[in-house]
Amino acid sequence: MGQPFPLLLVLLAACGSDAPAPTRLEYYLTADPPSLDPALSTDVQSGEMVALLYDNLVQFDVDARLQPGLATGWEVDSTGRRYTFHLRTGATFHDGAPIGAAEVRASMLRALAPDSRGGRQWPLLPLEGARAYAAGDAKTVKGIAVPDDTTIVFTLEEPLNIFPKFLAMPVAAVAPAPLPPGFRERPVGSGPWRFVSWSHDDALVFARNEEHWAGPPSEDTLRVRIIPEELTRGAEYEAGLLSVLEIPFGETRRWEQNVPDELQRRPALRDVFIALNTRRGPLGDVRVRRALNHAVDVETILKTVMAGRGVRAAGAIPPGIIGYDSTRAPFAWDTAAARRLLREAGYEKGFAVQLWRGKRSEQARIAQAVQQDLAAVGVRVEIVERDAPSVRATVRNGEADLYLGDWYADYPDPENFTYPLFHSGNHGTGGNYAFLSDSVLDAMIARARATPDEAEKERLSRESDARIHRLAPWIFLWFPADVWAAQSEVEGWRIPAVFTGQRWTGVRRSQ
Amino acid sequence: MDRGAAIAVKRFLLLRLALLVPTLLGVLGVTFLLLYVAPGDPVQAMVGERADAETIARLRAELHLDDPLHVQFGRYVSGVVQGDLGTSYITRRPILDDLLARYPATLRLAGAAMLFAAAMGIGIGIGIYGAWRPGSWLDRLATLAAYLCVSFPVYWVGLILILVFAVSLRWFPPSGSGGPAFLVLPALTLGMRSVAFLSRMTRAAMQEILQSDFVRTARAKGLPEGQVVLSHALRNALLPVVTVLGLDFGSYLTGSILTETIFSWPGGRYVLTAIDKRDLPAIQGSVLFLSLVFVIVNLLTDIVYAKVDPRVAYD
Repeated sequence: MGQPFPLLLVLLAACGSDAPAPTRLEYYLTADPPSLDPALSTDVQSGEMVALLYDNLVQFDVDARLQPGLATGWEVDSTGRRYTFHLRTGATFHDGAPIGAAEVRASMLRALAPDSRGGRQWPLLPLEGARAYAAGDAKTVKGIAVPDDTTIVFTLEEPLNIFPKFLAMPVAAVAPAPLPPGFRERPVGSGPWRFVSWSHDDALVFARNEEHWAGPPSEDTLRVRIIPEELTRGAEYEAGLLSVLEIPFGETRRWEQNVPDELQRRPALRDVFIALNTRRGPLGDVRVRRALNHAVDVETILKTVMAGRGVRAAGAIPPGIIGYDSTRAPFAWDTAAARRLLREAGYEKGFAVQLWRGKRSEQARIAQAVQQDLAAVGVRVEIVERDAPSVRATVRNGEADLYLGDWYADYPDPENFTYPLFHSGNHGTGGNYAFLSDSVLDAMIARARATPDEAEKERLSRESDARIHRLAPWIFLWFPADVWAAQSEVEGWRIPAVFTGQRWTGVRRSQ
Repeated sequence: MDRGAAIAVKRFLLLRLALLVPTLLGVLGVTFLLLYVAPGDPVQAMVGERADAETIARLRAELHLDDPLHVQFGRYVSGVVQGDLGTSYITRRPILDDLLARYPATLRLAGAAMLFAAAMGIGIGIGIYGAWRPGSWLDRLATLAAYLCVSFPVYWVGLILILVFAVSLRWFPPSGSGGPAFLVLPALTLGMRSVAFLSRMTRAAMQEILQSDFVRTARAKGLPEGQVVLSHALRNALLPVVTVLGLDFGSYLTGSILTETIFSWPGGRYVLTAIDKRDLPAIQGSVLFLSLVFVIVNLLTDIVYAKVDPRVAYD
């Protein structure tokens, strides 16, 4: 018998001929979307695909500006509770069925219905009677009225100026109701892309919707691969088989050196923070929480671990959102001040806490750096690494002292960074992982949510954020920047400010 | 096979099939207990961020998650007996449909890896004995290569293969599924350890058997060396190889998740995602399905073993 290796390689190379040539737009997700049904869309992957397949009454563009969708416009009455939306005529689902106000109403009722078992109904719960309907205690939602085929009127339980942004969320995307047979595997929407196929954990394929009211997308096909492994995604891009690629933090410098012309950078609407559980031991004392903020050298961690991708946070509202205050100074790295504050609070000998974190590699490095910095002022940190569900359950149940986490904007509004994260009505599962309770802050956030006056909202949001900073329920770390690469022949693609903002309609290959 | 032996085989198979039931029940029971004590709440994964306590409580009640463990277990087993593995909390699809949609891909990859491992492993093992001779520099090189194959982590091997053959040489796609080209790199990665084991095992078995009495007799009868090796020695040498192949194939069918992840190959990642989301019915269904596959592969291995060696008695 001869040597088999060269022969094998020749055989292997011979069957390499069916490697596909990239003739279309190739995007990727890091995991198979659990569902393409808007009513069940609870995660980023599903939300991104829902944005391709469906239309909302209003939707975000790539810069997160609210744009007309199935509705051409809307107005709100003087009470701030009643929104009237005017629908465009001639819009149809991909199967040709027309979309009128009755279809929009039916779609929302389905998303809210108890038997949908959708967990992400919260954008529709401000509607009058929606909670009772979702709980199965009412037969319909009083707050949705359809006076004619092109008008839909929403009445809310209380004034809420961000309600139109809620309508741009995936759960409010308009789907046929009742669902056509086989919908879960072959969804029918009205969006710019039609469903073609879905091979689970492998790829989704979409074809352009020639009939879309906004005009068809530039390219005829969009394929979305499922590629869970970070380094494999990099290889796919380098082999020219992906149109775009998100650059991991640890790889930033290499990509900046190798393909600087292909890179795009955008400040992300995102917070990275360590929540301090204000109900646990010494962390209930604001002096201790400020001391911890002074003790951590955030600037160095940002530069070394995150390749400088971000700006220091001095509050929770990130740049690009009204209410962000660029003049507010972050906590200075000052171990003497940290020790003084701890002494004043009666903890001159320090104390021990647990820091919970997930499994992402950069989180390990951040946690270690924080542990080292806090040790310098006598705070002994035990890092607890668990998988995401364990961390989530522990943090939401209020059983973690410190929690290293991040928060992405669902919609571009200061409310998205104040109400869920710091209002006392949202402890734990609602997003307030620090279990902060501050009645003054609660009142400010409530007023900012309700006022129809944009200038007042901005002022209230800025003041809320300043108060949050003073109360120090987090160790404020940074607002990260996204860095993506786009192949040189891919035109018209930009990093979206929110996850539903890139619908791939104006993206094309130049060759 | 005479009639007595055939009856023995049938009895053996029936016994093994009967043992399937307690085995799978045991697997189910242990899985249920482990999931019960593991931290994490499936409903919190279902609802994502910003859920209110009311919604969470309602969903827990609808999914019967607050029922006593034995009641939940009884309900699940009763469903399984009727062929219903339940519905995923996350995808809302029947578990069996989810598994059947993905499993053929795992089967393809495991089959390709096994073919590669068997051809290469046995081939190299015979090659060492027939052409290269034990103790030769080629033999020593093959030994070193085998150690390396066993020692390199799958993760590292997979990425190196992608970098060399997909990114630099562009012979194969880096990842994904499609035609035969997509199978090459993941099958090489997955099968490499088996190649190492099988080549060493074939080599050792050949060395031992070619010195045995019946081979000496065959040679004394004047049979050509090729016939002695291929017809007489190889069949006997393959007995331990068949066992290893069977065990490896079982583990490929149930444990190729890492390779599948590196190569974005659909299939086994379903259970990983289910664990990550605490999708209890999907985890239980996957464990049950994979246990069944493993037991069946072991059973088939035993049958093949009996075919290869009629002396094997099934008592």
